[in-house]
Amino acid sequence: MRPVHTLVDWLDSRTGIKAGRKRLLDEPLPAGVGWWFVTGSILLMLLSVQLVTGVALTFYYVPSPEFAYDSVRYVMERVTFGRILRGLHFFGASFIVVAAVIHMLRVVALGSYKKPREVTWITGVVLLLIILGFALSGYLLPWDQKAYWATTVTINVARSGPFGEFVAGVLKGGETLGSLTLLRWYAAHVFLLPGALIAFVVAHLYLMRRHGISGALKHVEGPSKPFYPDHALKDTLVGAVVFALLLTAAIVFRPPLDAVADPTDASYVPRPEWYFLSLFQLLKYFPGPLEPLATMVIPGLVVGLLFFLPFIDARPDRRPLKRPLVTGGFGVIGLGIIVLTYLGYQDTPAHADPARWTPLAIAGKELAMDQRCVRCHRPGGAANPILETALRRDQEWLLSHARDPEVIAPGLRQPPSGGLGPAQAYSVVAYMKKVQAGIDPPAVPAEQRQASIVLGTYCATCHMIDGEGAASAPDLSHVGSTRDVKWLREWISSPESVDPFASMPPFGDVLNDQQMGAIVNYLAARK
Amino acid sequence: MDTPSTSDRRRFLARVVKSIHTVITAAVSVVVGGAILSPVFNRRQENWLTAASLTDIPDSRPLPVTIRAVHADGYKQVVERRTVFLVKTGESDVVALDSTCTHLGCRVSWDADGKVLRCPCHGGVYDTTGAVKAGPPPQPLARLATRVEDGQVQVQL
Repeated sequence: MRPVHTLVDWLDSRTGIKAGRKRLLDEPLPAGVGWWFVTGSILLMLLSVQLVTGVALTFYYVPSPEFAYDSVRYVMERVTFGRILRGLHFFGASFIVVAAVIHMLRVVALGSYKKPREVTWITGVVLLLIILGFALSGYLLPWDQKAYWATTVTINVARSGPFGEFVAGVLKGGETLGSLTLLRWYAAHVFLLPGALIAFVVAHLYLMRRHGISGALKHVEGPSKPFYPDHALKDTLVGAVVFALLLTAAIVFRPPLDAVADPTDASYVPRPEWYFLSLFQLLKYFPGPLEPLATMVIPGLVVGLLFFLPFIDARPDRRPLKRPLVTGGFGVIGLGIIVLTYLGYQDTPAHADPARWTPLAIAGKELAMDQRCVRCHRPGGAANPILETALRRDQEWLLSHARDPEVIAPGLRQPPSGGLGPAQAYSVVAYMKKVQAGIDPPAVPAEQRQASIVLGTYCATCHMIDGEGAASAPDLSHVGSTRDVKWLREWISSPESVDPFASMPPFGDVLNDQQMGAIVNYLAARK
Repeated sequence: MDTPSTSDRRRFLARVVKSIHTVITAAVSVVVGGAILSPVFNRRQENWLTAASLTDIPDSRPLPVTIRAVHADGYKQVVERRTVFLVKTGESDVVALDSTCTHLGCRVSWDADGKVLRCPCHGGVYDTTGAVKAGPPPQPLARLATRVEDGQVQVQL
């Protein structure tokens, strides 16, 4: 250890680090400072973890719609500890929101915002907004369905406020939500917001040291104690528990990644993360012209109240029960947020689990083995094998190519004779989306597989099911709730015998008994 | 002024604080370090590609085959086209020679008259085993691993 001490002594002689460390750690704390005063340190620890994991993620992340999703998937699947790394960053965001709210409530409950700490409080409110800004801008970066559609909602919310079109234009960065949007949200997430965060954390800590901490509500007799090591131990113990919880969440739970963003998918129902769910729910109670009340006025009033709290409640008394307006106000707002979040959860439709294979995807897995596809899409062939083909084109292009392979390079090579039918093309594209999302195909019972192939070969030409297929005939997703096996069999075999004006072609002669049995049983079970 | 027992207590608490901080820092460092150093740990995958049918390779001369190989470049794929010469050396033994001249990287081609592989740039000449027969190439043509499965010749890229 001698050389280390010698080096530290030398550094100290040139920089004064020992005195600096002593000044930082020996902050005198008043007697009676308890466990409630650890909340700020926990928040600081979580922010540090977020900063470090965020920097590591930038080693792999690519802020472009072409590669963002693939790069996030690469981190999750190929990078050593990549899934845990993204888990720490993803779940860390939720931990930070919770820690920030607890810290703020502690400050409110103990009246720590009062004179002379008004500016400390204001920097804290700014930090809370920066944290929410991080959460919002981090949303879009994986460029999955949730990212795309939640950001669409955010930009539309901005449109409802004052200078709405201007603000929405700034958020979008271009004509549509696309590469320029992703790039500017990325720039905000990794440059602007971290810069602002560090500046305000430094200001917050400086002001905290300048005024000292507020201490217990009732004056406790006794000498002041230095921060280190007594109170530092409290901070460290709680920090260790919180970090252990975060690490466990990152190891046990897979951070979610929806299917890749599809601007043409009108069936996706976007839902924000839980910490924005209350705002999302609030929006439902103020339809039409009243919408700005939910998007701007009420959140604006809450933020305004937070900013001016030290001036609204300027009396020196810190006891919560002697400040019924503040305590009650925060209680009502807190309760409102909890109730709205709960209602938001209740109101969330069971949106399609991205890991669940749709019938068309199941059919597509079989159809993609068709010789017309495999002739080129094979190892060493003219094109990538389907399993390795990344979806770089939009859905319309993919459908066109599946139906007429010559689309890829007209005149350059002989296309296989006869492209796929429309339903088959939808199915192959649905399958490729699952492959792109890295979701392993499930083991499917034989009858379900057969029904899926019928759907993916014939029905999807006109019908939609689970958001896939054409929309020129009724959606089949819940057809079983209104039609039984008998009716379905009659209708599919010969629609005109059920309804003389039916425009659907008969399939009685197209499907064999096994196929007919499989499809009617499957559809009847779709309640 | 600290009494000896107070001083011991302080030292003990400081050690506990430092130890816990070290554990947390180490945990984050392992995850972050592992992720950043990940490319060093990842091995390149074996990529066996079918080049030709064994019966397609003539006994008397090398068969040039262009193989389209897809390599993972991190999160994206890079398509590489390589021309190799398949040379039959036995009933079911095949050697695959890279067509890249070891002198300056030009593509060699089969000279049917001289029955050699000739580089058009600086006159490098190789025989059908890839050995240098004449010219400036410093090394023989690179050989790629081959295997025959179900009558199909596969080359490792």
